[in-house]
Amino acid sequence: MAKVEPTIYVVDDDPSVRDALQNLLEAVGMRAVLYGSTQEFLDARRPDAPSCLILDVRLPGMGGLELQEELKKSGVPIPVVFITAHGDIPMTSRAIKAGAVEFLTKPFEKKDLLAAVTQALERDRERRTAQAKLGAIRTRYESLTPREREVLWEVVSGKTNKEIAGLLDLSEITVKIHRGRAMEKMQADSLADLVRMSEKIQARFRK
Amino acid sequence: MDSFQSTPSGCAPDKSEIGAMAAARFATNLSAEATSRTKKRPLKFGESIVGRFGLALILVALALVSSLPLQRFFPYPFLFLFFAAVMASAWFGGTVAGLFAVFFSTLAVDYFFVPPFYSFSISPTAEAYFSGFVICALAASWVSASRKKSEEALTQARDQLELRVSERTADLQKSNVELRERERQLRLLTEVIPQQIWSATPTGAIDYCNQQLLDYAGRNLEEMQGARFLETLHPEDLEDFRQAWQKAVAAGESFEGQWRVRGADGEYRWFFTRGLPLRSANGTTLRWYGTNTDIDRLHRAEQTLLRTQTDVAHLSRVLSMGELSTSIAHEISQPLTAVVTHGNACMEWLSASPPNVAKARHSAERIVQDGTRAGTVLGRIRALFKKQSSTRGRVDMSEVIQELTVFLRDEAIARQVSIRVELAPDLPPVEGDRVQLQQVALNLLMNGMDAMNATANLPKELRIHARREGARQILVCVEDSGVGISGEASERIFEPFFTTKPDGIGMGLSISRSIIESHAGRLWCSPRPQGGAIFQFSLPICPEDVDGQG
Repeated sequence: MAKVEPTIYVVDDDPSVRDALQNLLEAVGMRAVLYGSTQEFLDARRPDAPSCLILDVRLPGMGGLELQEELKKSGVPIPVVFITAHGDIPMTSRAIKAGAVEFLTKPFEKKDLLAAVTQALERDRERRTAQAKLGAIRTRYESLTPREREVLWEVVSGKTNKEIAGLLDLSEITVKIHRGRAMEKMQADSLADLVRMSEKIQARFRK
Repeated sequence: MDSFQSTPSGCAPDKSEIGAMAAARFATNLSAEATSRTKKRPLKFGESIVGRFGLALILVALALVSSLPLQRFFPYPFLFLFFAAVMASAWFGGTVAGLFAVFFSTLAVDYFFVPPFYSFSISPTAEAYFSGFVICALAASWVSASRKKSEEALTQARDQLELRVSERTADLQKSNVELRERERQLRLLTEVIPQQIWSATPTGAIDYCNQQLLDYAGRNLEEMQGARFLETLHPEDLEDFRQAWQKAVAAGESFEGQWRVRGADGEYRWFFTRGLPLRSANGTTLRWYGTNTDIDRLHRAEQTLLRTQTDVAHLSRVLSMGELSTSIAHEISQPLTAVVTHGNACMEWLSASPPNVAKARHSAERIVQDGTRAGTVLGRIRALFKKQSSTRGRVDMSEVIQELTVFLRDEAIARQVSIRVELAPDLPPVEGDRVQLQQVALNLLMNGMDAMNATANLPKELRIHARREGARQILVCVEDSGVGISGEASERIFEPFFTTKPDGIGMGLSISRSIIESHAGRLWCSPRPQGGAIFQFSLPICPEDVDGQG
């Protein structure tokens, strides 16, 4: 995986708060990109890098909580750290339930903010790694022939070569060849490795 | 409504009364008629004394003349002609003429036919014969006279009956004409007045609509009859109307309500409908009469007023307590956040190796900038409060509370809370800021209502009472039957930013207490024994009133 510098997006309608956040993040060696509204953030092109979002709840136009929902719906699960001048319990619980990393009340402490940002970035990194792995497995799986796929699913379900041969009406030798080629293409070191990989793609590709 | 109900008992007489009156009137008519007739009719010959005398004399003479020749042939001639004369005299001349005839016959018979003949003396042998004749003559006279009398009475009765019938017929014809004319005028009236009028059968089926109503609905009478008028009602009001109408019809009691009715143009307008039963003497409904009054503009104005009232109540509360403190918190926390964050950044720049002095300086500059901005915000808020706190004077808390309850009426209805107000009539005025004190009372009342939001199944009762407490102060209490206050909360409830409400700011009671304390009063709370809470505050009475009444 390429080493890309993580980005922290800040969405707050108050420029002095935005600037202060950028100043602090820069001081601890992080890159911050600033937006004045949710719409500005949605319109922007974002680099493919581990990232998190520091988001004000009270914003003109679409509010912070709505933006969080919108991102989740459109399949962009950027981890969110909320900041607000006036937070209450229902607002907090709604945000946390929707997957927010932290809910901070202004003025917040440095260590709370940095801890939340670090945690959010870590979460995004993990997610991205998992996604990349899955993507690779998928690419390999897609390189299999239909027959190899058939054999693969029978193998991971625990059947012997002989059983598979009977089931698919093939000779045992042919099954062995398909099996070997599938293992090779999937870059599986062992049967256990193949089973693990198949589990990850099962939901999407198994018919 | 009244005119209909009072009709059977008030204006018109009872049926039996009508009968009695008519009978009496009829009787007077008859007797007057009778007297006038007896006076007017010229006397007949047989009716004067002389006439009767003459009549009897002539008839008896005739009988005598006719009987005398017969005496030559029979020694005891038939005296029936005398009887005939007596009867004829009594018939035509009455009892008196009959008696005259008896008298003359007796003389004639005595003289001519009773032995000794041609003499008035009576031989002893003829005494029985003679007396028999006299008795028979008297009897004949009486019978004839009474027969005649009864015949005359009968004739007179028949005449009178005929007269009466013809009179009644004339009366009836006249009143029929009058009735038709009155009905025509009434119908004209219903068509001319600018009011929608209808009538219905006792079972509630419409059978008449005036032209105004038909014109409005754009339908003819046939299309409104029975239950078809329901088609013109707004679908949302239909069930409501049906229930009210059915209930009224079943009970036979007047009904009224407000409904939207579709006009010919397809637009719905609000109408006030009122229906009244016309009842018979025994109370059964004969017919329904009703009117529809267009109250559309009134209704809309009312709705607007109601909405405005609610808005104002809500706005004043939110503005006075919640919204203001939220916006203050927001205004101040923004620059404060910037200050703290820049400060942290500044320290980071300085603690780097080597320290980034340029960045640290930039951060420090920003701290000064944002700090100044926070100061400006504070100044603005102070100015805002200054504008409000000023006027102090004599404040009548009764008036303040009454105003508030009017203000909160709609809110209370919406939340199904009943507000009970008990104000001591001799409540003396206090010295203070009327607006601030009203805010405190409003805050306590709204808190009470909020506390009862959760108690859905219990009666929601909010009680506010004010009375004089001792010589120098008054006491205002607000009691609710809500969830009450836990022990821990009751200690902290007056602290700023402490709240038990999900959307509360925690400023209301804190501000309220500081207002009351600035008026040299006290605000505290206690649990209500039956559940709920009691908030009360005391305020000192105006000094000049203390001496007067204390």
